[in-house]
Amino acid sequence: MATEVQQPTAGEGKDDLLRKVDEKELKPVHVWPNLVSIELIGALTITLFLSIMAIFVRAPFYRMADPELTPNPSKAPWYFLGLQELLLHMHPALAGVVVPTAVLVLLGAIPYIDRSKKGTGIWFYSKKGVPIAIFSAIYTTIWNLGLILVDEYLPAGGANGIAPWLKMHGFSDVFAEIFVPIFFMTLIPFSLWVIVKRRWQADMRECMIAMYSFFLASFIVLTIIGTAFRGEGMALSWPWDIPYPPHGKE
Amino acid sequence: MSSIWKWITSSRLWKSIYRNPYPRDKRTRAMVILNSLALHLHPVRVPKRATRLTYTWGLGGLATWTFVLLTLTGVFLMWYYIPTTQDAYWTIVQLETGVTFGAFLRNMHRWAAHAMVLAVLAHMTRVFYTGAYKPPRDFNWVIGVALLLVTCLLSFSGYLLPWDQLAYWAIAVGMEMGGATPFIGKQVRMALLGGFEIGQQTLIRWYTLHVIFLPLAAILLMATHFWRVRKDGNISTPVYEDDDEETLRAVETRRRQQLAE
Ligand code: HEM
Repeated sequence: MATEVQQPTAGEGKDDLLRKVDEKELKPVHVWPNLVSIELIGALTITLFLSIMAIFVRAPFYRMADPELTPNPSKAPWYFLGLQELLLHMHPALAGVVVPTAVLVLLGAIPYIDRSKKGTGIWFYSKKGVPIAIFSAIYTTIWNLGLILVDEYLPAGGANGIAPWLKMHGFSDVFAEIFVPIFFMTLIPFSLWVIVKRRWQADMRECMIAMYSFFLASFIVLTIIGTAFRGEGMALSWPWDIPYPPHGKE
Repeated sequence: MSSIWKWITSSRLWKSIYRNPYPRDKRTRAMVILNSLALHLHPVRVPKRATRLTYTWGLGGLATWTFVLLTLTGVFLMWYYIPTTQDAYWTIVQLETGVTFGAFLRNMHRWAAHAMVLAVLAHMTRVFYTGAYKPPRDFNWVIGVALLLVTCLLSFSGYLLPWDQLAYWAIAVGMEMGGATPFIGKQVRMALLGGFEIGQQTLIRWYTLHVIFLPLAAILLMATHFWRVRKDGNISTPVYEDDDEETLRAVETRRRQQLAE
């Protein structure tokens, strides 16, 4: 399988890109039946899966909307729970508007920052790709969990958290709720970039792998925390302690 | 049996629908792709590798198919659903208890919506880690990001429609976020709610977005997305060298040679 492919002008051993693709793998085959059959099987499988799910799992439906009765906890759908989690740690304008906008813009900018065509179509690019992705995910997860825990339990007079602690020590609201969160949200990817560059002599694509892994790991960690570990009053709780359905919804 | 089959396939009606015989050889396999509206989105031939499940995981296709399922089940839901604050909730109750397959199709719509968001996120992740966003596919990645946004908005706008506690308070949380937009927070809130609080105006706004505007936007973006996949040289194939002109020309020449074989 792992025969080395020589592209027409490829120099030998110039780099360590993963050259796993067999010459035969690039030979053209007819879409009918080679691809069409796979697509058909895929469509049937997902349809079957969703049908079985629709038979056995009821879509949630609670009591009629009641503006007087706020459920506790009160949550958005799961794909926004990462953002709702951020909302607990910073100014709402930052968590609800600035961060999502920045995420979309930066995602869109990826191909304009990493312009080289080298590595197109190769899973994880080089031998360094997977280690960098794994390291980035772990690094990000530790930062995220650390910050969430500190922000939850750091004692600050009557309250808990980083912002109340800063305000208790005379810092302004803007500093505590906007500046400091921005500082951490920049520090994590920036430090990751520096580490990956030094430790692996990463090129642009490898740094991008670190950045996307930072985004993906943050999204997953924040979504899981927001979904399964936030209970009454959005306090950190174990999944089995979260009232389900939430009070005021049933 | 085979003679009946033969009689059917040689009938005028059959031939008027299927413009070529069942694909068995080089020529008819090409014809079937070129002559069918759904299939002509594909090239006639692709590198073997592009058909490997472990390359694309079929995720873009999965996102497309869940969208089709959502459209079909959504039309059914629209037959029963009434977008008013008095009726919305009760039409869902009625749908679940009194309509044949009502609960099944509502469940299906809901689970397919979650599946689509998941599929799109996974597809984006596949495209990223295979480096398939690199030029010339750079702009198609941007269209993809727009599709991600539209997919989330489609799902979220549907969330309000059942008008139950889950719907109402999820939207309340969303409004709180939108209302925090710097400088124009009040205006954003007003636009999303159609008033000062979540009510009839809000429901009709989100309903319209959910059943007309956002699906049309998604269809337009998907059409462009698929068209660009073709124009950008079909599914990505490995590029091992930096993009100096000479390499590119050589790779392109070879690709053409292979396709012409
Ligand atoms: C509703 C959402 C989407 C649909 C229906 C969709 C559909 C597809 C399909 C069917 C393909 C063909 C190959 C494959 O299946 O992997 C494809 C390729 C592609 N998609 Fe998407 N897509 C969506 C969202 C996205 C997103 C969010 C991104 C990235 C931000 C993206 C970027 C791309 C790129 C760059 C390609 C070319 C990949 C290659 O050549 O290997 N798409 N899309």
